[in-house]
Amino acid sequence: MFFLQAGGNTFGYSNVLIFGTLGMFVMAITLVSVVVFHQRRVIRFNRQLQKLEEEKQQMLLKASINFQEEERQRIAADLHDDAGPLLATARLYLNENLIHQDAAVQLQSIFSAKQIIDDSIQLIRNISHSLMPPTLKNFGLESAIKDVFEKINGSGIINASARFHDNRERLKEEQELLIFRIIQELVANIIKHSGAGFIHLTQNVQGNFYYFRIHHDGKGLLQKDFERLNYESGGLGLKNIASRIKVLKGNIFFDIDNTHTYYKVTIEIPKDVSKLN
Amino acid sequence: MSYLGSITTVLPLVFFLIFKRNDKEKTLRVIFYYIVYVIVNELVSFILHLYDINILNFLFFVFNITEFTLFSIFFYYALPTRRIVRSIVPALPFLYIIAAAYSFFIVTKRNEFDSFSMGLEAIIILILCIYYLVVSIGKSYNLSIYSTTNFWIIISFLIYLAGTFFLYIMAENMQMDKHFRVLYIIINAVFNILKNVLLSIAMLMKPSSSEERIRPGHVDLDNLFPFNEKNN
Repeated sequence: MFFLQAGGNTFGYSNVLIFGTLGMFVMAITLVSVVVFHQRRVIRFNRQLQKLEEEKQQMLLKASINFQEEERQRIAADLHDDAGPLLATARLYLNENLIHQDAAVQLQSIFSAKQIIDDSIQLIRNISHSLMPPTLKNFGLESAIKDVFEKINGSGIINASARFHDNRERLKEEQELLIFRIIQELVANIIKHSGAGFIHLTQNVQGNFYYFRIHHDGKGLLQKDFERLNYESGGLGLKNIASRIKVLKGNIFFDIDNTHTYYKVTIEIPKDVSKLN
Repeated sequence: MSYLGSITTVLPLVFFLIFKRNDKEKTLRVIFYYIVYVIVNELVSFILHLYDINILNFLFFVFNITEFTLFSIFFYYALPTRRIVRSIVPALPFLYIIAAAYSFFIVTKRNEFDSFSMGLEAIIILILCIYYLVVSIGKSYNLSIYSTTNFWIIISFLIYLAGTFFLYIMAENMQMDKHFRVLYIIINAVFNILKNVLLSIAMLMKPSSSEERIRPGHVDLDNLFPFNEKNN
């Protein structure tokens, strides 16, 4: 209004109108430009994040393939180095000349061959069990995990216990196997690297999610360590955990309690993966 | 020039009918009704002018109220669904009608161009436009903001109202001035054309979706796993 009064004539009013309109227009354009440029920067940043995420996925995929290859090589080595020689030895005992030997030698050879074949059966059973634990297949995740924890506890090195609060319904077989492998890997890492005195596993259900939490008093990982190790070239075990979690469409959280006395690893798994797709 | 501004109003309508006829997005529907209303208003003004019936001020008054109401409905759907927005925006047209009616019937006594209601409308809509843009900054869409319909509609409001703001608030006192009338026609037509071009661009854009995916599993895990070493 000051400008209007100050103008005092038609020309003054016109100037106010023209400059006011231009000013408002320029302000509007500036505002829009700022928003657009800022948003473009945000999008560029998001794309970079997306690219990093894709790279991470590639690493996880590679880790998963490497893990499978290693597993195959281990099985091949077990069969070649252990089962192969055992069966070859058994064959030696049971050669054609055996019928020309006297009865006592024949009996001894058959007994030895039988012994070796028994060992081979046991060996093959062990290999098979390492691929799919029979307790897990027959009795479910709770029994399989408790079995593992009892074995660890029995060693006397570490105090291990597991408690399932709500295990009324069984998960799908493939889900159970993946969870079992994740927990096995986590527990193996804790025993190997953390120097913990105890490991305790708890299971619970909340809404559509299963939760597994491992507490231990060793030197554990935090979420940022886990993320960092996941991006680094080493740490195949952690990458396998991450890729299995991804298959399960779950989450994993590494944390330390407020008193800094024990570390927590929490796994969140949806009950029905298909529902989340 | 004035006629050119009026004729371009048909442009967004044509684009809507070609590209967005089957689009169910509510914001777009509101803009469609707005464009139709502007065209009807232009036709009525033209007919009244032909028959020399001088109720243009009243027509402006009705136009302001309808325009503001449609803009408010647009913002109601376009702005993020927050409680404060959901409660303030629907109340705006009612408050505006009271203020505009008071100004038109009591202050100007129906005889003058009502700059107050025009200015008030411009200020409120500009604030809502700026709020929309500020909210858009905070959102990290992967989709560019300028590839959405709502953005271009907002820009058309923003530029049109910012550009005509001074024109309308001065019109009440200056409408008898010949030089001002020329400027009025030019500025109004320029920003009308700009608005219509921007609305036409909006009709070519992708629908705007403000839905954000919510990650599952926000559970108080410490509550779920009360851990006490001594008990285990």
